[in-house]
Amino acid sequence: MHFVTGGAYNGKAKWIREQYRLTSAPHLWLSAYNNDKLPETLYHWSDNNIVIIEGIEQWIKAGAGSSEPEALLEEWTEILKVWLDWENMNPQRKLILAGTDITKGIVPTLESDRKWRDITGWVYQRIMGLADEADLVWYGVSLKLKEKGQRG
Amino acid sequence: MEEQGIIFISGGVRSGKSSFAEELAAKLACDSNAQLHYIAAGQASDPEMMDRISRHIKDRERRGLNWNTWEQPRDLAKLAPCFSKNDVVLLDCLTTLLNNEFFQGKWQETSFREGMVSSIIEAVRQISDSCNALILVSNEVFHEPHTENELVFYYASALGNLHQKVVSLARYAFLVESGVPLMMKGALK
Repeated sequence: MHFVTGGAYNGKAKWIREQYRLTSAPHLWLSAYNNDKLPETLYHWSDNNIVIIEGIEQWIKAGAGSSEPEALLEEWTEILKVWLDWENMNPQRKLILAGTDITKGIVPTLESDRKWRDITGWVYQRIMGLADEADLVWYGVSLKLKEKGQRG
Repeated sequence: MEEQGIIFISGGVRSGKSSFAEELAAKLACDSNAQLHYIAAGQASDPEMMDRISRHIKDRERRGLNWNTWEQPRDLAKLAPCFSKNDVVLLDCLTTLLNNEFFQGKWQETSFREGMVSSIIEAVRQISDSCNALILVSNEVFHEPHTENELVFYYASALGNLHQKVVSLARYAFLVESGVPLMMKGALK
């Protein structure tokens, strides 16, 4: 699993398309920004070896109102495990998660926004822990946060 | 002196990005006895802004360097003929310049926003061609929850787009974190 993060409008999607040469590689691109549904499993999509799941923070927001932060973090951990199982079944498979960093602004005035921001930070730490590769994209250039094979 | 081209520097408020930019400009100019130019995009529209501007001016004077200051809140390209091949030019900052252009125009229209970003990029190219080093300072404003507000959305996407284009043209790009410049693009010799 490859985690790609960075601020909004920093060119994360473009960077992923270039890195993985997606114009010629078959892939499935699921995006919260296009109102795609959060995929609870990836087995339907086994035709595609590359799956990109973009807008993690927006899916977190969609669920953030309903339960306690601890429970939400557990739910996300479960989803991540299911996705990782799919990726691990075949060495050709690659899962790429993209999430905008929304955690560095001033404290939001709305309680729901504060909760959303907290959970996003925790989920990103969890994703980072499980990912075997991670990049921070800053205006189209990348900084390697985690190298391949350096789990944990 | 070897041609330095465009150097992009960004950071949060009070991250030390302006000081780093000024020190870098001074160092480049000192190495080759070049003239230093400072392009101020800010307009002294209220007492707070006047105070911020005067603090920056005092900071620069204190460092004892001979800056040639240009006040250019809009129409950056007009300055292109003012520099010569050896000069070091510092623009502080792109965010303010974009603000001034954005709120002057029809920001609701895609064509206006795209045209505004392209014309700033074109001006940056022209100035960079006319001098030795063009240092561009800007702000990090992209780490807050997405907004439903149309104005902020258009503004942030225009600024993000501008930064991506500038970084792609830049020879060096730095992100300043609490006074520490991280080199994101380029390699030191």
